[in-house]
Amino acid sequence: MKKNKLSHLPPIKKLNLTRRHFVKATSALVGAGMLSSYGLPLYAAQNVEEMMAMYKSANMDWESQKGSKIVLSGLEHPWMQSIEPLLPHFTKLTGIDVQVQKQSESEYVAEVPVKLGAGNPTPDVYMVWSYGQAADAGWLESLDQHFDNPNLFDKNWYDLNDIFSSARSFPIWNDGESYVMSITAEAQTMFANQNMLDAIGANVPMTFDELLETGKKLKNDDHAGVAMRSKADGSAGTWPCGGFVFSNGGVVMDNGVCVLDSAEAIEAVQYYGQILNEAGPLGVGNYHWYECLNDYMQEVVAIGMDSSNFATDIENPEKSNAAGHTTYGAMVSGPGKQAKPNMWHWMAGINSKSQNKAAAFLFLTWANSKPTCLMSSALGLATTRTSAWESDGFKSAFGTQAATAALTNLQNADGKIMKDCWFHPQGGEILTPWGIAINEVVTGTKTADKAMKDATQKINKALGV
Amino acid sequence: MNSFKKQRTKFIVLMLMPATILLVGLTLFPFIVSLILSFTDYSLLRPGQTKFIFLDNYIELMTTDEFWIALRVTVVFTVLAVLLQVIIGVFIANLLHQETHNISFLRTIYLLPLAITPIAATFTFRLMFNPSLGVFNYFMKSLGFPPQAWLASPSTALFSLIVVDTWQWTPFILLICLGGLASLPNEPFEAAKVDGASNWQIFTKITIPMLYPFIGLALLFRSIDAFKTFDIIYVLTSGGPGILTRTLNLYAFKHGIEFLSMGYAGSIAIIMLIITIVVAQIFLRKNNLLKPKDTFKR
Amino acid sequence: MNKLTRRIILYAFAIWSFFPLYWLLNTSFKTSKDALARPPTFIFKPILDNYLDVISNNEVWNYFVDSLIVAMGTTFFGLLIGIPAAYILARFNFKGNADYGFWILSTRMTPPIAMLIPFFIMYLKLGILDTHIGLIIAHVGLNLSIIVWLMRGFYEEIPMEIEEASYVDGSSYFQTFYKIALPLSLPGISAVGIITFLFSWNEFLFALVLGDSVVRTSPVGLYGFVGYQKIYWGQLSASASLLLIPVLFFVFLFQKPLIKGLTLGSFK
Repeated sequence: MKKNKLSHLPPIKKLNLTRRHFVKATSALVGAGMLSSYGLPLYAAQNVEEMMAMYKSANMDWESQKGSKIVLSGLEHPWMQSIEPLLPHFTKLTGIDVQVQKQSESEYVAEVPVKLGAGNPTPDVYMVWSYGQAADAGWLESLDQHFDNPNLFDKNWYDLNDIFSSARSFPIWNDGESYVMSITAEAQTMFANQNMLDAIGANVPMTFDELLETGKKLKNDDHAGVAMRSKADGSAGTWPCGGFVFSNGGVVMDNGVCVLDSAEAIEAVQYYGQILNEAGPLGVGNYHWYECLNDYMQEVVAIGMDSSNFATDIENPEKSNAAGHTTYGAMVSGPGKQAKPNMWHWMAGINSKSQNKAAAFLFLTWANSKPTCLMSSALGLATTRTSAWESDGFKSAFGTQAATAALTNLQNADGKIMKDCWFHPQGGEILTPWGIAINEVVTGTKTADKAMKDATQKINKALGV
Repeated sequence: MNSFKKQRTKFIVLMLMPATILLVGLTLFPFIVSLILSFTDYSLLRPGQTKFIFLDNYIELMTTDEFWIALRVTVVFTVLAVLLQVIIGVFIANLLHQETHNISFLRTIYLLPLAITPIAATFTFRLMFNPSLGVFNYFMKSLGFPPQAWLASPSTALFSLIVVDTWQWTPFILLICLGGLASLPNEPFEAAKVDGASNWQIFTKITIPMLYPFIGLALLFRSIDAFKTFDIIYVLTSGGPGILTRTLNLYAFKHGIEFLSMGYAGSIAIIMLIITIVVAQIFLRKNNLLKPKDTFKR
Repeated sequence: MNKLTRRIILYAFAIWSFFPLYWLLNTSFKTSKDALARPPTFIFKPILDNYLDVISNNEVWNYFVDSLIVAMGTTFFGLLIGIPAAYILARFNFKGNADYGFWILSTRMTPPIAMLIPFFIMYLKLGILDTHIGLIIAHVGLNLSIIVWLMRGFYEEIPMEIEEASYVDGSSYFQTFYKIALPLSLPGISAVGIITFLFSWNEFLFALVLGDSVVRTSPVGLYGFVGYQKIYWGQLSASASLLLIPVLFFVFLFQKPLIKGLTLGSFK
């Protein structure tokens, strides 16, 4: 990386650690220290005996469910891809066989509800895409009783303090029980093509207005300025645009009522639409992840703002032309407002109809344990453990600067306002009309004011408030 | 005579039995369940608290703009796509029937859109429609036209979807018409040729009328399927821009699978079924396709 | 229309049909960077990596085998069950003929989405989830309407005189159907067989929900190359291209009667 323009990022130590939903500061934590205390080589997977010793130092009975077989279901997601090669360790440790079912996102969200809704006992463990929905529908087993079972869980060994606090608080449902474990961490992060910025002598933008201005200047016949998701779908524009709403002092839900018609939210969506309209590529209204990431990697667009996970692909020179000259930056903020990027933890839970709950719980514990996270993070997975984020393996796979930016954005995020919307039992009925409204603004079929007011009315009607 | 009648009845029953058993077994239970659910507020979110709400789902549906927009989109999409497919399909089938060279080769090429795994084809279209990286805009620019937003623009999105559907499904019409042409007797064609009729006259006066039952069936099945179109729209536009390409089936999927409101989704499905039944009945009656043309007199 | 115009139109239509597949094939020989290059590349350094990747991938072979079993099974049983019903509907005037025919047609009209969960529960109770036979039954059910109606159309085109003569000769209903009507309808069977095979080969939703790890057909399996936030273009295009080979082989086999139909026609 030629230039690491990190000056605009707040140094991590200075971050306000007392805020409720901030992740725990990394600098205070074991990180590299843990590495040395275990004497762990970078790619620990090669050193099976040592790894086994690490797991066995836990004061619990890994082999209590020996001989059982569980079905793990998930998306074609980096988590599945980095956990799958490590499964033989799990089987060796516990004597539990794991059968993996991997699917694309569209297949997954169409098939799993049918299975769970019909009361199928498999999958035993699955990635939860809509926590509120799954918890409300009774598709998830409470994990609390298992956490208290000394045979299945060793609190000290597991070291909860090593896990980001947002990842710890995410699974706590409104009845006080935890039904899932957080398994990954993502934050909304800006990625900017430094060569293109240099060509017009611009700095990494920090506010909505700067992003609009810089984006417009960047746009020329060769490439567009900014591309962000805005397809007419609940899973597209809502997440990145959510960060705009939050960073403009707005929220989606307030005490169970949708307030996307607030002045702050409308203004944020107005900016989002204007930026994409004036600085975005032609047809940006149909952009989802694929288009955003492809355009950026092909250097057809100069700036993107999406999941921090994109870094692994952007920095892969076999796929990306932007590898090596991308600067990762903070979320932009509204006029006079504080940046609050959007964030996300993927979660996994146990099917309440599963016949192998204890084995499934052992799997979750194993998958989220320090040694496993160290190994999976060395493959580039953004886990929920500070020790893994601090490890050399992760930094070299993910990129130091991308990791720092992602962590900073994660720390600046407010998990509560995000959960209020995305974890709502009727989350889909909030996100879909909103996603469509964002698309209408970007494609110019409605003004931000009208689109957001219509959507809010529709959402509140669906929620019965 | 009596034993003859018995034999006839026995033959009819036996020949219809397997199909009847299979279809009753397969469709009756799901149909009844979704019919009943459509009169309830059943949601997987609260399966224990289901109430019978009679026609509320239907009333809600009828008073929602989104339903009418989805219905309009579905009808426009179905009519335009199927018309285009039938015109092209019949026309090409007829040309291919007259062709003497490389028929096998051409027929195989024509069938490819039907043979390729749809998801691969659909994502290829998504790549080709991509405004900045796609090959369609590359052609547009090479020919001196301005690049288009294709799937993102309100004026071209539905049209683009119709193009994809036409590409994929014209071979279906083509195949049925080729089969039909192959099973037609030759005499009328030969007689017409002897009388000095032009190719066009033969096409309109002999081919089309004789092929008519096949065209009718192909059109019917294409319409039934196009009315339920889901995959290509889900992948290419997700119903956007806004909800301008959101079909009824997409609307039902949102409510049933994404929002888990099975009762509401059930009512959309029942409405779709009623519309299809009514239109199909009218179509079949008007075209005398419902009853067999001619049967054994005995 | 003269011969030249006709050929130009036929070949133009061939190009239109082939172009997206050309693009898919093209992509299958590209690196992931070239696949998305701007401007789109027509000439590039082809690589075989994607094919080697896919061929050495056991899962793709399994998708292929599962699809083949299910599609062949569906075609066979679909025709076996559907043709007799079609023949009756075309030839026998019994009370309720039209209603029965319409009922069969109506099974194709219901949008499957609302029916998925009851369908799944039924399969769960019967214990035929994730089995070849289970998926074949579902696919036969989905396609029976089209088999019956199209075959009925073909039977109606065959003049009845030959069959009637056969009765006069003392043949039974079944003998007449089997020895006279069935061979005469071969062009129809061929077209309907190809259609059934393709519909089953490419069916997605039921294959997704009723299949699982044992039975995973290629449309479901290939969707797996559409990853989270990214698409594995190389593997997707290479496996889709490879999967065309068996289909083309099948279509080619079934095509013969389509051509022979001409000679059969003159026999009438």
